Amino acid sequence: MATTTQMRVRGRPAHTIGPTYLSYTPDGTKLVTVGSNNLFRVYKTGFDGEPTNIDDCPEQNMGVDSTNDFFVTGSEDGTVSKYSLESMSFDNFLMRCSLPIRDVSISRDGKWCAVASDELVVKIVRTNDTSSVMYLREQLKPVKHISFDPSSNYIALSCTDGLVYFYSLTGDEPELVHKVDGLIRTVETDEEISSRVAWHPDGRAFAAPTATRDIQVMSRGDWEKQRAFTGGHMGDITALAWSPNGAMLASAGKDRKIILWETKTQKILTTYDYADVMDIAWHPTKNLLSFTNSNGEVYIYNDFVPGDHAHLVKLGSQPAPFVHDPLSEISANARKPTVNGHKDVPHRGARRGSPDSLDDILGSEIMGDEDDFVVDDDGAGYALVNANGKRPNGDTDPFDGPLTKRRNQTWEPQYHESFQPGSTPWRGNRKYLCLNLIGFVWTVDQDTHNTVTVEFYDHEFHRDFHFTDTFLYDKACLNDNGTLFSCPANKDTPATIFYRPHETWTTRADWRTQLPKGEDITAISLNESFITVTTTANYVRVYTLFGIPYRVYRQKSSPTVTCASWRDYVLTLGNGPVGADGNTKLLCTILNIKRDEVCQNEDLVALPDGETVKSVFFSDNGDPCIYDSTGTLLTLLHWRTPSQATWIPLLDTKLLSRLASGRKTESYFPIAVADGKFHCIILKGGDQYPYFPRPLLSEFDFQIPLTLNPRPDSGDDEDDEPANEGDELKKLEGDFVLKSLLTAQHQDLIDSTKSSHSQRSALARMELEIDKTLLQMMAVECREGEERGMRALEMVTLMRDRSGKMIEAAGKVAERYGRAVLGEKIREVGEEKLLGVMDED
Amino acid sequence: MALPLSAGLTPTEVAFLCEMEMVTVIPRQRLESISLLSGPTPALRPPHRSPLPLWLALLLKRQRRANILPPPWLLPLSLERILKYETETSPETFSPPPPHPHPISARPSPSDSVSPPFLPSSTADAPAGYLPYHWLELGEILLEACPDDIPDSGRVRGLLRDLREVRMAKMRGSVSAVEGGGVMSLKGVGAMEVAEGRGFIVGVMDGLRKLGSSREVARREREEEGGAGGGDDEDEDMGFE
Repeated sequence: MATTTQMRVRGRPAHTIGPTYLSYTPDGTKLVTVGSNNLFRVYKTGFDGEPTNIDDCPEQNMGVDSTNDFFVTGSEDGTVSKYSLESMSFDNFLMRCSLPIRDVSISRDGKWCAVASDELVVKIVRTNDTSSVMYLREQLKPVKHISFDPSSNYIALSCTDGLVYFYSLTGDEPELVHKVDGLIRTVETDEEISSRVAWHPDGRAFAAPTATRDIQVMSRGDWEKQRAFTGGHMGDITALAWSPNGAMLASAGKDRKIILWETKTQKILTTYDYADVMDIAWHPTKNLLSFTNSNGEVYIYNDFVPGDHAHLVKLGSQPAPFVHDPLSEISANARKPTVNGHKDVPHRGARRGSPDSLDDILGSEIMGDEDDFVVDDDGAGYALVNANGKRPNGDTDPFDGPLTKRRNQTWEPQYHESFQPGSTPWRGNRKYLCLNLIGFVWTVDQDTHNTVTVEFYDHEFHRDFHFTDTFLYDKACLNDNGTLFSCPANKDTPATIFYRPHETWTTRADWRTQLPKGEDITAISLNESFITVTTTANYVRVYTLFGIPYRVYRQKSSPTVTCASWRDYVLTLGNGPVGADGNTKLLCTILNIKRDEVCQNEDLVALPDGETVKSVFFSDNGDPCIYDSTGTLLTLLHWRTPSQATWIPLLDTKLLSRLASGRKTESYFPIAVADGKFHCIILKGGDQYPYFPRPLLSEFDFQIPLTLNPRPDSGDDEDDEPANEGDELKKLEGDFVLKSLLTAQHQDLIDSTKSSHSQRSALARMELEIDKTLLQMMAVECREGEERGMRALEMVTLMRDRSGKMIEAAGKVAERYGRAVLGEKIREVGEEKLLGVMDED
Repeated sequence: MALPLSAGLTPTEVAFLCEMEMVTVIPRQRLESISLLSGPTPALRPPHRSPLPLWLALLLKRQRRANILPPPWLLPLSLERILKYETETSPETFSPPPPHPHPISARPSPSDSVSPPFLPSSTADAPAGYLPYHWLELGEILLEACPDDIPDSGRVRGLLRDLREVRMAKMRGSVSAVEGGGVMSLKGVGAMEVAEGRGFIVGVMDGLRKLGSSREVARREREEEGGAGGGDDEDEDMGFE
């Protein structure tokens, strides 16, 4: 049915000229309209006669909202009144304000009514107890529109200063969660132009008219701009409403048009010409839309959605238009997740009746509503029937499919999700593909293509570049030699990897290779000599830097989680057998590709129950490190010898002294371990991943969790003296453990590689450092007193020095503090050690 | 003295001294270690942070070879806290200086006598919420040289101005305490504030002393008339004028 042949719906003169508002009751049986005269009208759905009038009411009403039992109106005289729909009469005043009311809104459960007036404070009053009121005070100017989100946990206030304020109503006191700047324009409260925030029915996003006459969707989770409905209106938008299932959006503008948009494609479905529309309301279930204009007329538009799109009305709940829907983002895990909700269910229309069914024979008069004993009088939905005579599952969340299915099954193991180290998920239309100490790679979704930008920290060595990416790369690795990209398989192109060296002496050095059909990439890694790719087919594919396939093998543990590489070593992580907590155990394999040696074969990654790995990478010295979801950085010791590997914690970010005050909540996004420091990005305010603009890198010293952390200095000088001694000893003890660990790692490195002279002398220096630390510890012990002598002696026995010089020095320290007995014993230890060395020789 | 300069340091001299403070930079280019009089600088490798003297950091910043990391106390949150301390918590005294980075224990150690600009009070590891000795000059220099590296630099500029005004008012107010013969604690006062306040406070003190001395002379004269002797202080006083 084309728009031209449609019958033009005639407006019903409901009120005198002036702003007119309307609201459908949630069960859809009644439509309440209020206007500038002292009369309310209640239209019955499907009944074309005169509406019921309610006389006893104020003039110049500016807002209405309804539940099945009552409706609430707000008037310019500052009163908010509640009317019963049962008796069609005035119930009570909910509130009085000193200034005109601008908007009223009832939460979905009907218990709370929010009122915006020209006063600065927005009040939320209990509908059955006017004495309990919540106040929202943070905004600096009057609020024009208010809207509860579908769960009524949040409320959005469109303020006249051009900001949208979001309050959380879950706690005892309402709390300002976020302010959104630059979404709506500044509009005075008495203007017809709307700045209303319309929540998408799935509650994860909302839409609002912008200053550019578009409708912008924004997600509530990360306050990021998502899709926009653009290019429809030539004038400012005056009204906005999502269809009850979220599949469509209706908007009216000053350009005398009503536009019906499709949510999924953000395309215009149809356009109607109606002027001065002030408020739009969808019928909760039917293909019926009503709107009012500033002439006091009400239009009740049956079959508003034209025939060829009418099936959209009947769909179940539809997701909000995200650029990258976080819930529909399919992980590259081999197991396909169960289909979400009703997304893929095709529309079949109403089923035809089976031949000679009882319904057909007896007719609806007998089997119909008249003698149906179940009357849905509270709107709970149990008596709602759809076209097939079944109760619709409208209440179900479109995304709870897998959960309920899981509950039905007896049990299912929880896998570790696969991930690409150093990358972030999509947020809005941006995503970091790779963040490391060389530089960073990010991509911006431009609908038809992406733009990828590679930036370096060292501007002298490399030049930043960016390119238009038609392959939609979603993973990247960056190092000093080049950049590696990979894109997932889609309908016609298989998964592809693309390597681009930074420097070249031939005309073309970049190459691209395609994976076999049906195979997708889970993680990629790049180092000085090899490119490693793990795939959903559980293959680990190793290429040389110029694309020669070097090795392919199947990973023993599956599905694969991720991979990392350093020189000739490749580390792969995979899901292993299921542990006692229902999670699969994470297994780690380290392989030397060139020598074809297995260093660690399916070794368990030590993780606490229910935790997972956030990132895995090699340190600059070539030791594997993981950062887990408890915020601990661990490194692998003795990993070159099979089954000797142990995971040692290097730093527990929860115990950092910067968090000791308890005021800060922050998490850390791991970047690298280099120079004996942990490089990360500090994330504040509950963020999980870094976002734009790129935050600065922070670095933390290693701190092996040994004892209770010393409290940060509280400023009282009296406690300082005794605390300092203990702290000093603790610090030295920490140093000792850390230095021993680093020395052991360095020793491993020297043993297994062709070590240079500088490396060997570094090792000697490190050992000397350990002895020095021990000597300092011993000095503290000696100072503390004679009675700590045994501890001091033990420290001397721990010394590594074979020449006896250190022990001699220890003897001198003991002498200086006048610990003669200790000095004697130290000399004995020294002699024994020297003899022992000679025996070994 | 032949020089027309008054006693103490001029603001340019204070700023010059301040340039010896260490700051943390994030290099954008590699740079090998340079041997300076104060010792070799660390080799710069992006994006590893390294401490450098302010003058060198400014030089590299101007050549776009490095970014300067603002010290934690120069962030708006920290400055707000200090301002609150100055105006509400303790409207009489100055906010305390940062704690000494080397723990001062009962035993004397060579690190005890280290003072600014040789203390790392403006690197990225410095504690937030304390104004170091060279706060005003350092803040002004950084705001002028690298406003792009300081988050919310407009607010920082405003807060620094506020702090300066509050503290200058205290400095001037301290004169009234001096009048009564008391001495106000100058703990936490910055180098530039001392240099600025010196002229005013010394002037006022001098004026007070003169007034006091003439009154003293009058009293002595009365006493002399009364028959008591002694007045050798007079000559000393006169000598200054």
